[in-house]
Amino acid sequence: MSLVAEAFVSQIAGKVPFIHVGNQVVSELGPIVQFVKAKGHSLSDGLDEVQKAEMKAYMELVNNMLLTAELYLQWCDEATVGEITHARYGSPYPWPLNHILAYQKQWEIKRKMKAIGWGNKTLDQVLEDVDQCCQALSQRLGTQPYFFNKQPTELDALVFGHLYTILTTQLTNDELSEKVKNYSNLLAFCRRIEQHYFEERGKGRLS
Amino acid sequence: IVCQPAKILNFLRRQKYNADYELTAKQGADTLAYVALLEEKLLPAALHTFWVESDNYFTVTKPWFASRIPFPLSLILPGRMSRGALNRILLTRGAPPLYQLQEVEAQIYRDAKECLNLLSYRLGTSQFFFGDTPCTLDAYVFGFLAPLYKVRFPKVQLQEHLKQLSNLCRFCDDILHSYFRLTLGGTPPAGPESVDANLRKLTQLVNKESNLIEKMDDKLRQSPQLPPRKLPTLRLTPAEEESNSFQRLSP
Repeated sequence: MSLVAEAFVSQIAGKVPFIHVGNQVVSELGPIVQFVKAKGHSLSDGLDEVQKAEMKAYMELVNNMLLTAELYLQWCDEATVGEITHARYGSPYPWPLNHILAYQKQWEIKRKMKAIGWGNKTLDQVLEDVDQCCQALSQRLGTQPYFFNKQPTELDALVFGHLYTILTTQLTNDELSEKVKNYSNLLAFCRRIEQHYFEERGKGRLS
Repeated sequence: IVCQPAKILNFLRRQKYNADYELTAKQGADTLAYVALLEEKLLPAALHTFWVESDNYFTVTKPWFASRIPFPLSLILPGRMSRGALNRILLTRGAPPLYQLQEVEAQIYRDAKECLNLLSYRLGTSQFFFGDTPCTLDAYVFGFLAPLYKVRFPKVQLQEHLKQLSNLCRFCDDILHSYFRLTLGGTPPAGPESVDANLRKLTQLVNKESNLIEKMDDKLRQSPQLPPRKLPTLRLTPAEEESNSFQRLSP
């Protein structure tokens, strides 16, 4: 889907990721998982309560660290903001709306960062946090194919989503993807999922 | 002075104190994940219970904090912290489709109760989260749970839920007993009762002092510190000044 169309549709849904089923649009991972569960499918059925607790904890870790770091890099790092983010965010709208909305979004994100205590962090500190998070994920994954051994769960989907985006998005600063590339088992994990579930697309962007 | 958990941990590690020395790599990773879970799911509801819920804030939290902060900051800082807490909750959890404050509140309490359940499952019947000795995660969880468990609030939905999870209550009681030497009676325990009585006394004293301030300016400027609570907390003033100011203001 082109960038413009994607941005336009995500405005309707409110947030990415979203799914469009019949005439229903469900956005964000939590509601999507619940929606699919209500239809009778769940990836984490085979887990016991302690494992489910662990899975939820790791999902929060990813949300807390990786998502916030991605937002920080996109909206609080001046170089990236100027060259990439403003242009990309404002692309569906005519001038001057594209500038106004982009600045508004940036202000909103900076406010949120300040509220959670990331406002005063430097880029290096953010990259260190990402490194810590990747280290934790790498240690948890170990040599297993998926986080909970043989079957993929929601955690695998979430981690793949974030890591794949980090590894394949071109930014002015490559340090974020370099941090992830330091962990070979995480790279192998992403490649494995890409080949297994997305190989009908033909091209693998990770190789 | 070092504040905030992450900075305290770094400081202690530089001093060569590390509670996680014996943990495996996977357990270390689990610690990070559970800490993120607590901050994301439990912290908003804890902030709400202490700082945003008006009954709790005005009866317990504000007098408690105001008593430890010198005048005139005692009039400004609690209000600022309350607004900061509400801000944080709305900015992090108030995104669409939750527009009403009540919906956001309902959602954060639901999340907090789920988080408490998850912690309870994880703890199971063990004494601590990773075996028989406490580590960083135990300290973190205790830091969140103990105030929620012990402080007497008028509006107590989260506390009620926590009290139903007996292994978490046992966990808090064990740590309080071993490391803080608070005696545990039957129900209700003696600790919170005296805290409650002291807080009530303190609220009265704070109210009396604000009246006195309007009348007696010179004498009160000499003793700006408010009278201390009778609790084992840090002392801010030397012993003589404390007893003098206390005697001057008691009925």
